[in-house]
Amino acid sequence: MTDRYRLTFSSASVLLLLGALPSPVPASTESLREDVSFLASEALEGRLTGTEGEAQAHVYLVSRLEKVGVRSLPGLEGLSHSFDFTAGTNDGGSVLTLKAEGVSEQWTGTDKFQALSLSDSGTVSGEVVFAGYGLVLPESATFGYDSYATLDVDGKIVLALRYFPEDVEQETRAELSRYSGLRYRAMQARERGAKALVLVTGPNSPNAGETIAMSFDSAIAGSGLIAGSISGEVADRLFDFVADKSLAEAQTALDGGNPHITGFEMPGIELTLDVKVEREHRVGHNIVGVLPRTGDGDIDKPYVMLGAHYDHLGRGGGGNSLARKDEVGGIHYGADDNASGVAAVLDIVERLASRERQRDLLVALWSGEELGVLGSNAFIDSATVTTDQVAAYVNFDMVGRSRDNKLALRAMGSSTIWPRLVEQANVPVGLDLTVGEDPYLPTDTLALNQAEVPSLDFFTGSHEDYHRPTDTADLINYEDLDRIAQLGSAVTSKLLNLDSAPDFVKVQPKTNTGGDRDSVRAFTGTIPDYTTEVEGLLLSGVIEGGPADDAGIQGGDIIVEFAGQTITNIYDYTYALDAVKVDMPVTVVLLRDGERTEVTVTPRARE
Amino acid sequence: MRSYRSAVALLATLTPLFASPLASDEGPSESDFLSRTRRLTFEGRRAGEGYFSPDGRQMVFQSEREAGNPFYQIYRLDLTTGDTERISPGHGKTTCPFIQPGTGAVEFASTHHDSRSLELQQQELDFRASGEERRYAWDYDPEMDIYVTEAGDARRLTDARGYDAEGSYSPDGQWIVFSSMRDAYNRELTAEEAAKLETDPSYFGEIYIMRADGSGQTRLTDVPGYDGGPFFFPDGSRIIWRRFDEEGLTANVFSMNPDGSDVRQLTDFGSMSWAPYVHPSGEYVFFASNKLGFGNFEIFIVDTAGTKEPVQVTYTDGFDGLPVPTPDGKQLAWTSTRHGRDGGQIYLGQWNHEAAMVALAAAPARNSE
Repeated sequence: MTDRYRLTFSSASVLLLLGALPSPVPASTESLREDVSFLASEALEGRLTGTEGEAQAHVYLVSRLEKVGVRSLPGLEGLSHSFDFTAGTNDGGSVLTLKAEGVSEQWTGTDKFQALSLSDSGTVSGEVVFAGYGLVLPESATFGYDSYATLDVDGKIVLALRYFPEDVEQETRAELSRYSGLRYRAMQARERGAKALVLVTGPNSPNAGETIAMSFDSAIAGSGLIAGSISGEVADRLFDFVADKSLAEAQTALDGGNPHITGFEMPGIELTLDVKVEREHRVGHNIVGVLPRTGDGDIDKPYVMLGAHYDHLGRGGGGNSLARKDEVGGIHYGADDNASGVAAVLDIVERLASRERQRDLLVALWSGEELGVLGSNAFIDSATVTTDQVAAYVNFDMVGRSRDNKLALRAMGSSTIWPRLVEQANVPVGLDLTVGEDPYLPTDTLALNQAEVPSLDFFTGSHEDYHRPTDTADLINYEDLDRIAQLGSAVTSKLLNLDSAPDFVKVQPKTNTGGDRDSVRAFTGTIPDYTTEVEGLLLSGVIEGGPADDAGIQGGDIIVEFAGQTITNIYDYTYALDAVKVDMPVTVVLLRDGERTEVTVTPRARE
Repeated sequence: MRSYRSAVALLATLTPLFASPLASDEGPSESDFLSRTRRLTFEGRRAGEGYFSPDGRQMVFQSEREAGNPFYQIYRLDLTTGDTERISPGHGKTTCPFIQPGTGAVEFASTHHDSRSLELQQQELDFRASGEERRYAWDYDPEMDIYVTEAGDARRLTDARGYDAEGSYSPDGQWIVFSSMRDAYNRELTAEEAAKLETDPSYFGEIYIMRADGSGQTRLTDVPGYDGGPFFFPDGSRIIWRRFDEEGLTANVFSMNPDGSDVRQLTDFGSMSWAPYVHPSGEYVFFASNKLGFGNFEIFIVDTAGTKEPVQVTYTDGFDGLPVPTPDGKQLAWTSTRHGRDGGQIYLGQWNHEAAMVALAAAPARNSE
């Protein structure tokens, strides 16, 4: 990847200014390089939200913006906008007590009983109902499945299996897996009046018998429910008091997916859950400010918002790191993700400072993006500036790895204005643009789109160093980053001076999911290339040592079929991945140099 | 629309089967001649036929991009700023713009004088709203006449019944060559010809020349089958165009003197070879052909005399056609569906003239008659 990139770099600079068109403005690559190098330096330790590294970046960026003339927003002091978030959850010593037939037993220790990270703290007691997999499909699903259909769980404690029936057809798996996320399941139990939810990983499932690790959950509050997971051993003990069934038998009966196999009450058992969830609260800091307009007329929607997140993964402890074994714990420099986007925004603000502006330019450098788009959501919720005052939002997230002059512009479906505006802005800049409609992107664009602000998202694609300590400043393509900033500045300038604000178009989401990371278990280690539109899933690379790598899949391959399902885009791939079983080999059809090739991939469990 | 016959247009709107980004290490590829390729137009359903001003700073093109009109209108794009303005009247169908050297005026073909033009727009919009799918077809509207922009208005240059379009200026700006189907309307047709007019009016297409003010309209060709898409050589010495056979199934590139004499054939693929345009060096001609597959048009170059086998330029499935070089010869604009959706858009890439000369010199002699 590195070598190929360098080759592109040198040829790009030679070819850049050929032709009849006048040359663009003088390169500001040095300033881009300085910004990226500082933000991605060792001293900032990966800019994890709420840490000293974030604070140092904050000071630097505030000073950069103030120099250009960016001022405080009304109601804020300085350029800082802070928000609370949960930096992590721990089990603070939860206890499970069983009373049955005169017996009383207690379990402590997270290998036997552990709070779910979404749980509230508190103590509840009650009778127990075994609710199978505890899954409910909405009416919109292609078939009916409701674990609670024949059960009354009001005021009781629900015991359920983790994941979803193991032996069903692939299409059924895909549908079920979409609604098997922990939060969704907790909500279903709570809505039926359950006092608590207890999950066990059944003996037929991956990670059999293990309690569920407290995954990172950045939500500031719990789910309004007491919830925990128990070991297989503890579950077996509970089933000792069920006359005719073991847990294994109960699971096996359910694994065929027959929706008429129901759960059952477990009479004579009373459980007491004393759950202690410790949430570490921290404060994250957005940087927001305004470059005031030069005009003084009334205008429809007086703000245009320009944004990029400046936080990253620190040393990768939060669960989003893709560090290889020998890189674990290293600084995740985050040069592309997203020092590159921040540098682009700074550059654009500098370019626009000397131009005419009929609207205020609202500059937002977000924190908390890597923890779940926290900063931008918190800013929207704060109503410091209400989103109905914002004409449009332009986002930069990972724009430093352009190859062959390519840039992806996404979320184009959010307004009818984008094709014209993008066409005009890019004619003199000359980037090789790929356009995408979908605004439901894993970046701050998502938050602004949900607030119904027309949004445009700049992105140069994923790569091998994504979320690894190897995402470093020396690998950034500064020449193309400069031109990307030039395009961003042209787009933003046009938005600032439009007479009427762009319309907002609500794009229908392609997925309706009650799942979360827990529901997608299969891991293949493929890295999609988002910048090139092809039929199928083009890969920019594979994760070394992952299942795809083991199968001989390479960057540049296009997946056109996965486990018998035709793949035309990344959504097809996500569904197909939902549907496969861990450790069960599947056939993958690839196009490599135009030739169809079949390989066998064995997905692994996502850790 | 320059030289889109209906059959060609059908194919041009098919989604390409596959737009492979993989460059193979061996063998010829697009990167031999083209680099920094990028899509130029994004707005609207379709855009195409981009032609440059002599200084290379402007491009005129046709695009379907305004609500209320499902047909092409003509736009002028300032390549230095990206600003675009519509220069045709806004209603009716238009096609085939070309900038007049010296004045900057733009000739194009239009039906806006037709009293039915708004009605026809609504019919097409209603048809689309009905959810039915019809492939795009160019209908050789007999109302189509050639206009030139003048002080924010359009002045009519031709008024013969029958499609007049596909015009382009001579390098000195004094002449316009164009294609006309007026021969189908200005005389008594045989029964056979009348039947032909019902099914394929383009059969009557012939090349004409006139002064830039519309005077002196003179016919240059007289061969059954569609003659169209004429352009002057860069030095004005000859005209390049393409001629379909009587059945309209295959086409080849020809050149002739501006008085219609000395006709020479440059290609003989036995497929649809059309949309020729001479490189500013005068050394070779760009054209598009579906030689490699009925729905797969690629751009080729051939030496101006047509003595050698053509050399393939593009290698992307789907439609690549209507090639037009910039006046300095260093870039190539063309219409392509390589972005993977229905409807062509204009692309622009750096053109390697030196590599083209080398490849043409190495090309084998054409096995001609």
